[in-house]
This record gives sequence, C-alpha cells and structure tokens, in this order.
Amino acid sequence: MKEKILSQHFGLKNFYQIDEYLKEGGYRAVQKSLQMKPDEILEEVKKANLRGRGGAGFPAGIKWGFVPKVDKPKYLCVNADEGEPGTFKDRYLMSHNPHLLLEGIIIASFCVGIHSAYIYIRGEYEAIALRLEGAIAEAQEKGFLGKNILKSGFDLDVIVHRGAGAYICGEETALLESLEGKRGNPRLKPPFPASVGLFNCPTVINNVETVSNIPLIILNGADWFVRKGLPKDGGTRIFGVSGMVEKPGIYELPIGTSLKDIIFKHAGGMKKGKKLKAVIPGGMSAPVLKADEIDIKMDFESLVEAGSMLGSAAIIVIDTGTSMLDVLKAVTKFYSHESCGQCTPCRIGTSWIDKIVRRMAEGKGSKKDIDNILRLASNILGKTLCPLGDAAAMPIMSITKKFRKELESRL
Amino acid sequence: MVKIFIDEIPVEVEEGTTVLKAAEKAGISIPHLCYHEAFPPEGSCRMCLVEIEGLPKLELACSIQVREGMKVFTKSEKVVEARKGVLEFLLAEHPLDCPICDKAGDCKLQDYYDEYGLFESQFSENKEKRAKKVKIGKNLIHDQERCILCRRCVRFLREVVKTQELGVFERGIHSSVNIYDLTPVNNNYSGNLAQICPVGAITDLDFRFKTRTWFLEKGESICPLCSRGCSIVIEYHTGHYRFGIPRKVYRIQAHTNLDVNGFWICDLGRYGYSYLNENRLDRIIINREEWRLDPVWDTVMKFLAQKIKGLVYRGKTSRIALILNSWLSNEELFLLHKIFKNDLKAGKIFFADPPQEEGDDFLLTAERSPNKRGAQEMGFDIQPVDSEALAEETDLIIAFGSFLEEAGLRGVLERIETKVLFASHLSGLDSLFDIILPTPLIAEKGGSLTNVDGRIQKFSAALDSPGDSRPEWSILAELGREAGINFTFYRGFTSPEKIFKSVGKEISFFRVEK
Repeated sequence: MKEKILSQHFGLKNFYQIDEYLKEGGYRAVQKSLQMKPDEILEEVKKANLRGRGGAGFPAGIKWGFVPKVDKPKYLCVNADEGEPGTFKDRYLMSHNPHLLLEGIIIASFCVGIHSAYIYIRGEYEAIALRLEGAIAEAQEKGFLGKNILKSGFDLDVIVHRGAGAYICGEETALLESLEGKRGNPRLKPPFPASVGLFNCPTVINNVETVSNIPLIILNGADWFVRKGLPKDGGTRIFGVSGMVEKPGIYELPIGTSLKDIIFKHAGGMKKGKKLKAVIPGGMSAPVLKADEIDIKMDFESLVEAGSMLGSAAIIVIDTGTSMLDVLKAVTKFYSHESCGQCTPCRIGTSWIDKIVRRMAEGKGSKKDIDNILRLASNILGKTLCPLGDAAAMPIMSITKKFRKELESRL
Repeated sequence: MVKIFIDEIPVEVEEGTTVLKAAEKAGISIPHLCYHEAFPPEGSCRMCLVEIEGLPKLELACSIQVREGMKVFTKSEKVVEARKGVLEFLLAEHPLDCPICDKAGDCKLQDYYDEYGLFESQFSENKEKRAKKVKIGKNLIHDQERCILCRRCVRFLREVVKTQELGVFERGIHSSVNIYDLTPVNNNYSGNLAQICPVGAITDLDFRFKTRTWFLEKGESICPLCSRGCSIVIEYHTGHYRFGIPRKVYRIQAHTNLDVNGFWICDLGRYGYSYLNENRLDRIIINREEWRLDPVWDTVMKFLAQKIKGLVYRGKTSRIALILNSWLSNEELFLLHKIFKNDLKAGKIFFADPPQEEGDDFLLTAERSPNKRGAQEMGFDIQPVDSEALAEETDLIIAFGSFLEEAGLRGVLERIETKVLFASHLSGLDSLFDIILPTPLIAEKGGSLTNVDGRIQKFSAALDSPGDSRPEWSILAELGREAGINFTFYRGFTSPEKIFKSVGKEISFFRVEK
C-alpha cells in the first residue's frame, strides 16, 4: 500500500538497528531540522494539522506553542502507556521503528527547547523498553543524542521510564505524577502541563504515533502530510482492528478512510459464518456503533457527528454471537478496576455500575437496573476530575441505550 | 477588582479569587468536602460543582477563578442534580452509623444530605468491606468505612507537618487511607487530623464516645500553654447546677487565626485541658481563725487594703513581697507594676513560671507561659523565686499561685506575718498561706496577652469562672483604689478594655494604632 508512511519499513530485517535505519535514509530529518529555526519547525508542524494520536486529538503544533518561553527546564514526555483496550499500534511503531520515534523526539525537543525527554512506556512492554534503550544507545554513539548533537550545540538526553501497569497513567497528568515517582493520580487542570508539568516545569506530552509523524512532516513538508489525510486532520492513522474479523491487525491508512472499508476490505471482512453486530471505533472508551452505522469516515469530526469518537483508532468488531451484556460487563469491569479512586463519581460510580452489571449477568437483574445504570453513568459523565470518568460513562451509556432490548431480554 | 454575579447577586472581588471564595463574600456557601483553605484545591470530592454561563460543563467552584462579568449559578437544577449525584455516590459506600459516630452533628456529609439529599437509596449491592476502628496514632482512630477520601489528612501531614505518615493505598473502590507499615502517626500536631476530617473517619480517642457535639457550648480563647498564643475554641458542657454536675470541658479545637496559628494547634494545647476541669478552687479559704474574717470578697479585700494602708502609713511598704507569674494578662501585670512597683515600691518581686522546655519549628515555643513577653515589656525584671531572700524583712506576701513550688516555701513562709495567695486550683500551698482567694483561668476572664513575637491579642471569657472566683484585674483595681495611694487613677478601671487604654497611654509598646 502506497499510503503507508509510518509503517512503510515494517518487516525489513533488523530495521530497528541504526545501521539499517540509516541505509533507508534515517536521521535525515534530524539533520534537516537542526539547520532550521525552531519557529520554522513549529510553523511546519502547525501547518500539517497533526492531531494527537493518543485519543483526544489535540493539534500537536498548537500544544507546543503553549509552552511559555521561561527560564526553566522544559520536558518532553512521550506517552507510550498504550493502555486503551483494543489499542496496539504504538507497540509496533516502537518495536519496528524505534529510531523514527527518536528522530521525532529530537526534532520536537529542538523546536521547543527541551534537553530532557522521557518515554513513559507501560510496564508490560518490557522487551520494547529494552529495544528503545538499545536504540537510544545507538543514537548516542552516532552523535544523534547526548551533548552537542551533530555539532549543532543542541543537547538532548532521552530516558525510558517503565510504568507499573495502570490505565490511569496514560492520562497525561497522572503520567507526570507517576514519572515523578508518586502515585498515579491525575492532577487538577488548570494549570496545564504546557506551563506546569513535570517537576513543575513546562512540559509537552505527545503520543508515540504523534511524535513518529514529525520527521516525515519535516522531510516531506506540511502540504504533503495534509494530502495524506484531510485538510484539518493531516496524515495517516494506524488502525488497530481486533475482534471477529478475518485478518485482525494494524492497518495504516489515510485519515478519513471508511470504517466499512477498513473492516470489510482491509481486514478481510467478518470471520467465516460471523455476522456484524456492533463496532467500537476508537478504543473501549468510544461509544459503540451499530452494524448499520459503520458507513462512516474515520476522522475526528465525522465520528463526533456520529456520536462516537476516533480516540486511539482501535476498532473492536463485535459479531452477533457476542452478548452485549458480556461486552458491557467487560467494559464496567475494566473501568471499575482501573479507576484511580481519586474523585467520587468515578471511584464509586464505576464500581456501583459494575456491581449491577455483574448481578444482571447472574440473571438477577431487573428493568429498574437498566434505568439505574443510565442514571448513574450520567452522574459520572462530565463530572469527574479527569477523562477516565467520561471514558467509562460513554461506552456504558451507548451500549445500554443502543442495545437496551437485548439487555432486557437477558434479565 | 473583578465584578461577577453569583446567583444574580453582584459581588466584587480581587483578581485571582476563586468562585467559592467570591460566593462566600456574597453570603452564599457552596458545599465542599475535600477543599480546605489551608491547601491548594484538590478537586476530588466534586461537591462544589457550579454552573457558569457560557461553559459547557459544570466547573469546580474551589478552583475556578473569577473573570469579569462571570455569571455563576450555584443552585440551578443542573447543579443541584450533580450535588445529589455526588452525595448518592458517597452515601452508597458510607455506613449509616451516625448514631454512634462522634462526628454526628458536626459532619459535613450529614449537613449536605440534609440540604440536598433526603432521597431513598437506590443502592442494592453489597458495600465494600473495610476496616473499622484502626488505631493510626496515639489518639487517632481511623474508620475506613466512613472515609470519603478527601485526603485532607494526607495533605495535612504532607504539606503542613511534613511527616507524611498517611497515604492512600490501593485504587478505585478499594482505595483507602492508611499508615505505612504499621508506623503510626506520631507528631505533635496529630490532633488536627480529627478536626479537619469532614466526616467521622478520623476520630479522637480523647473525645470518642464521651458526649455528643450538640450538647456542647463553644467559646473562643487563647491557648496559654506556650508563648505562641494560638487561637482556640473551647467546647464544654455547661453542667447541671441543680444536680451538682459541674461544668466540664470536653475538647479544645484550633480556631482559625491566619496571623498566628493558621488553622492548627499542637497536641499539647489540644489535649492539655484537664486543668480547666480538675481540682478547681471555687471559694475563699481563711486559715487564721483568730482574724475572725468572713470568707467573702468584701471583707477580705477590706482586710487586705487595710494591711497595705498600714504599711503605707508606717512607710514600710518595702516589706511587701510579691510572687507573680506570666499567666497574668497585660492588664493585670500593668496594675501590679503600677501599684506595687511604682506606687508602693515593694521590696521583692519574683516570678514563678513553668520551666522552659523544647519547642519545635512550627507553633510550639520553648517558653511555656503565655505572657512572658508582656511581663518584660511592662518593665518587670523577671527573677525566679529566691526563697531565702523572700522572708527577709517581709511582713506581707501576695502570691499568684499557679506554678509555685510548695517544697521551697515550706518553713520560709512561716516567718512572714500575712500571707495571701491567689489561686485557681487547690494545692498543698493552701495550708501554707493565711488567705487563699479563688481566681479564674485565662479561658474564664477577659484581657490581653503578648505572644512570643510581640503580638498583643485580646481575649474574652470563653467559660464562666467557677464559684466565687474573681478576675485578678478586678481585684487589683480595687486594691489600687482602696490602698490609699492614688484613688483617682484606679477609679475608672471597670473592665480590661479600660485598663488597656491606660497601658497604651503609658507604655508605647502597647499602643495599638487603630
């Protein structure tokens, strides 16, 4: 597929090693960037309309622009805590193409004036963390990291930090707390990390995929990048397709590719004998779409219009043989387990709903329970300290509303 | 200044003020549990959500700052629903043991349920099992079932005392506040934890199960146990006079005073209140039957004034000895200085004070009397009691007895003709003096004290004084009038405030510019 930009070299032997990477033109973006002015880089990234790939979709260039020009250390944190259920794109990017990420880190740091960057990686990705550390050592040896990078006078250290397996640490401020060695609880915003972040200093936090796109923007230009995707939403997305499809896996496709096409063309359609019932289009937090709602473009705006969200672009395909009560049970179990416990509605609400759903699954539910789930979820929605509350309430409400009849039939 | 509208009431506040604070100014209280003035907003309880015109979501009143023209709604349907929702969540996991909870009557969760809740519980699942009655410190019991995880306690120990004995363990619904590895809360400010807990999760062993908060009266005073001068609230039961049940102090809590103690007091001041209850002297004792004195103030005061007058007449006022202490107020020390040092030129003036002990770098000072600075500024040369010198050429001793050592005085006092003791407590000294007169404690009278930093703080009686006791300032003003020295000067001293005016006129240190 010609569209591939991030994953174009996936499958090349030993591509994760710097020599192979350099053979394919690696680190040219860094060389080019170091000869540019930081403001020029910022302009280019802004023009490319690179939106955050972690879930919220905030434009990366604008985020960088928020960093105040103060006389304080600044930090970059790469969010590699890939924890959203259904999401498995960053692990491939990091294990197949670690130097692309490092290039992105160097360019972003040079642009913002950062000399320490952290990759916060989920604890379970042990092998990938080791691979990243290997790549960092290689880059250092070649003079792409460390002091006076390529004799430009710019210094940068990259540190890999492994998390301990909490979903909440993928939330950017909880990530910062965890990185500081504290309990992974989200912080109250404002202040936003761009002004008060890691160790109370200005901090940029970007997803692995977001950062990996930056070298490509620098090499090929913002216009090229926008053409790869949509005008307001540049580039490609790595869609992770899982569930009852013939060929589950990651698919790098232009932003705006139809969901139907992703499932039925790229992922080979439904497994033999299985019929589509529902799709969760953007990781477990995204509201569910019914089978007749999938003729839709996969970009931020189209999915918001459809009442869902693109999130981490993780597509979970559910077939008619799967009970929605079981899906709901998986959702409530996950969020009640992963709630950090800091704020009231999320701490108690997710657990309460989970208890109701488990009771329903035991065949001890009533119609009143379904109303209660909706009422409780709406008492969580929009009322929590961090987005985890919404992430829990949205799928719970959408499954309950859209599949109410099926749930009632299980009572 | 920024002008905003809270429930359509216009209010002007300084830039940077939070909506919660601005609402207070407009007379509107916004419910909150985790927010405490002493700490930066935490935003975890979600009780203070308010609606702000133009913003899509409800916002936290405890953290959002005012903007010119902002329109805030604190009682809209959306807000009330959200509050109900939060309360419903909190109460789902909260035990219904208010009848045996010390916090009942004083509990914010109870108050807010009264205001916004009163719904029937929809919770039909099992509550989480949590530990009750966990001892987490010398005087502290933690009930994890009642805990609403506001983390005030955790933040207090992290940000104020910096000892960090408490933390949050586990996560989600299993989150709980606890101590690390069975290492208890161990610092001199631990009692504040029970006070700042908005519910009954941390209770105080010293107070636990002894009374109900609604039986208690409250009075403000100043802690006299060191020279910091922390503001306190004394909580007491008035007693039942007719049934012979005496007044009883049940606890002391910190009173907010940002200039001195902030929101806190030390454990020494909090738990050291038994002296208010126990062993009180409440009547006049006369040990010299041959004097044929009625044990009433009028008679005794006339007798004492007569004694002094006699010495004045004979020009022998140098044969008066005084034992004072630094628990006396500025006003009382002023009168003592005036009468006995300036006017009468008494031969000996000693101070009997509690000994210095170790202080800390927060509130507790090494000096353990509340008004040593006041005594110094008044012009006293503070000398400890020299019992050998005391009886030399002394005819009359007037002692203020709180910290007198009985042992040193035995055998010495016998050589003095007239011995008068002012005391708040019964003690072994009672048999050594001729006349013992009951006086109130600082909590039971008005006046002012000068703290370690030279700050003059006024106080008034938080409690009634027991029995026949009479404040020293009033006794001294009468002595001044009746001892035949300067009637007119002492005539107008009918209250501590009136005395203080004269103090300010005479000694520039006490001149309060206001």
